[in-house]
Amino acid sequence: MPAHPLARFFDHVDDVTAEIARREAGGVAHPAAVDDEIAVCHPKQLDLVVAEVITETATTKTFRLRRATGELLPPFQAGQYISLRLQIDGVRTSRAFSVSSSPTERRHYDLTVRRVPGGCVSNHLLDTITPGDRLVSSGPIGTFHYNPLFHGEDLVFLAGGSGVTPAMSMIREVVNRGLPRTLHLVYGSRRADDIIFRAELDQIARGCPEITVDHVISEPDADWSGPTGFLSAAVVERLAGPLRGRMTYVCGPPAMYAYQLRQLDRMGHPRRRVRLEANGIALPAGEDHDWPADVDPTAEVTVAVRGRGAFRTPRNRALLDALEDNGFQLEASCRSGECSMCRVRVVRGSVFTAAEARLRTSDRDFGFTHSCAAYPVTDVEVDF
Amino acid sequence: MSDDYDAIVIGAGNAGLSSAATLQRGGRRTLLLERHNIPGGAATSFVRGRFEFEVSLHQLGGMGNGPLRQVLDQLDVTRRLKFLEERDLYRTVVPGVLDITLPADWQGVADAIEDSFPGNRARVESFLELCQEVGSWQLVARASLHQPQEQAAWLRGLPRVRRNGLRPAKEVLDEYFDDDRIKHVLASYWSYNGQPPSTLPFMDLARILTLYLEYKPYHLRGGSQAMSSAMLDSFLEAGGDVRFDSNVAEIRTRQGTVVGVRLDNGDEYDARMVVSNASAVTTYTRMLDPTVVPDSVLRDLRSRKLGISGTITYLGLDATARELGFTAGTNMITSELAENTVRDSMHSLDPTPYVVASCYDVDPIGFAPPRASHVAIFSVQYGRVWDTLAPEDYARAKYAYAQSQLDLVEVISPGLRDVIEEAEVATPHTLRRYLGHPGGAIYGFDQDITDSWLFRDADLKPNVPGLFLLSAWTTAGGYNPTIVTAARFSQRLLQL
Repeated sequence: MPAHPLARFFDHVDDVTAEIARREAGGVAHPAAVDDEIAVCHPKQLDLVVAEVITETATTKTFRLRRATGELLPPFQAGQYISLRLQIDGVRTSRAFSVSSSPTERRHYDLTVRRVPGGCVSNHLLDTITPGDRLVSSGPIGTFHYNPLFHGEDLVFLAGGSGVTPAMSMIREVVNRGLPRTLHLVYGSRRADDIIFRAELDQIARGCPEITVDHVISEPDADWSGPTGFLSAAVVERLAGPLRGRMTYVCGPPAMYAYQLRQLDRMGHPRRRVRLEANGIALPAGEDHDWPADVDPTAEVTVAVRGRGAFRTPRNRALLDALEDNGFQLEASCRSGECSMCRVRVVRGSVFTAAEARLRTSDRDFGFTHSCAAYPVTDVEVDF
Repeated sequence: MSDDYDAIVIGAGNAGLSSAATLQRGGRRTLLLERHNIPGGAATSFVRGRFEFEVSLHQLGGMGNGPLRQVLDQLDVTRRLKFLEERDLYRTVVPGVLDITLPADWQGVADAIEDSFPGNRARVESFLELCQEVGSWQLVARASLHQPQEQAAWLRGLPRVRRNGLRPAKEVLDEYFDDDRIKHVLASYWSYNGQPPSTLPFMDLARILTLYLEYKPYHLRGGSQAMSSAMLDSFLEAGGDVRFDSNVAEIRTRQGTVVGVRLDNGDEYDARMVVSNASAVTTYTRMLDPTVVPDSVLRDLRSRKLGISGTITYLGLDATARELGFTAGTNMITSELAENTVRDSMHSLDPTPYVVASCYDVDPIGFAPPRASHVAIFSVQYGRVWDTLAPEDYARAKYAYAQSQLDLVEVISPGLRDVIEEAEVATPHTLRRYLGHPGGAIYGFDQDITDSWLFRDADLKPNVPGLFLLSAWTTAGGYNPTIVTAARFSQRLLQL
């Protein structure tokens, strides 16, 4: 490699050129296969095979997924999720599911799925997937997991319905690794026969002093003698005791969060000691109180994709869903506003972005939004 | 797909954006291709809870009336941004040994050191004068590679530059000072280059000090992502095309000459000029037909070491900067004066003896909510040490390392752990994943004296006809060097 003509004016120039010559003689090639190195923990895609389908309750099944190649799956942190990539009725879409199995088990991931009224993907999985079927997903991702830098060793988990799945993974990890960490699960279900993992949870709680489990039922029948109602401040305080800064995880249906945050606030629990799992968009677009007045959420507008066509869609259909409906592919993962994979730029027109979208200062200033949480208010043109 | 472009730029990092905007504004039909769904590369931000986090920008150098400012003006970017001038250069702390804050002002530095270490004023002033001469020379000379005659004439008249430029910073500091504490304080910016003082080229320490003392350190409203987005807008407004989520798999050649690129999805684009903002290693050894890459280039690549990466812990804190004890934005904390301890730690997962803790709410950039603050704690590390871990041990190792970073920061911010609201740890593996750089190298190759542009004249040459590399791999790492070099070099491409 030639030196610049100016180099020869410097003292010590010969020392440097000699050192370079020495390194050229003894040099080794650099690792260039960066993508392969990254794929160990963060594969672009996981090819999975359904090893087993386990019926948990009348409405819930666990799909046990192994890697199609037979290799171990990437490690994950209990509480993280994978995003299944599916094609249903000709529409390509994706859905995030928390892994419910323990991170100590890398031969399979368990996804535990409950039937949702009108739930396109959940119901498709429950109705059609059988052992031997192939599925495709992202690698594990997500920020809803234990962080030893500030979570402490004394934890509370408030779960609603299928929101128990990340708790199950965390509990299994505490048990499997014998971690010096206590976790008190307060788990709300509608009916006693809706409780997912009931037998295993109760068995762990009996045998493991670190784990406490309380079930709370909102629509109890005559046989139920345990706590009832929602996970109100009074119920949580009675079951879990004073929170005193214990890190409190919340996972459940989107509508649960506003209520649960109010209860925790009422208990004087600081917001910084609460972790919420991003789990969908709480309110339909038109029902959000920030939705612009006098704009009919059901009326159609035109969405153009820069240089690639246009289609009509109702305003209250999230841009990501509408794009998928119309055959446009874009990366998406959490579909709850958080992960930013489905980011698009709005180059014309205006959109309503739900509060769940974690936009950055520059996103607002330069017109970027998260399409899973954005709704077209006017005719718009997007670019991605 | 076969749009005809005059130029294709691979990668919308700082250098890629700067090059694309310069080419397009100069009338070349330019296509910018980016793997991610946003522009910026390392110049970006992310959100956790109530906090936004600056990923990489510690202090923006070269603003004021400096070289970066000139380029951003030329690219019509400055008006789109709000720059915040910082009062201080940095606070340097060695627990029990020294704790000093240097203001961002030549005379102020001399005053502050005299206050803490009396009797050294004359030496400090004389050292800073040398820094200013060498630093200013390098800033001009590096931008004027195409004028060798004028530059040679100028350099002949600068005997101190010629005598000291290639020496290690430590040697020059040893010549000027007896007190190791003063040397430690004045060499604090070594981490912005990645070489500790005994291998840090003096001309680079001088350049960095000049950038910040002459032109002042700045922060940006909206962080570095605002600048990336503003550069993109300058490019788009001039008529440029950008494609996101577009991963270039191959730079296509015909008879040894560049004719375009192919994406990993098979799409092809044609152009007779390709600018790669991807790493030099990836560009030459993964994207090109091996038969078109000259042996001299491969030999050169092998002779160079992958540069530093780092482990960064991003904290969202439920307290103000003042409550936390952050009086300066940039804090260099080292457990002891001995350089070897720091040098060894760059190859080790043992508890770190060294952090740069940047608090973005002493001069707030707007990323933390009211009464809260945002801190990034950076320790220089080489990526290779993280490769020794089994995948299942990785998470535990990164949190253990981050704990040791927090231990050091608690020296100046006791109780910091009690108010953590968000915490995210990025290691060399994280940087490798997001930048696509081997080893997670943030500044390209190791920036010792052998990496200087004085000795790597072919870095910016079209070693494969039609291909130009513009990135931290072919110029000094950091915002000012990459953006300025890419713009000035692309200006010259316009004359081709």
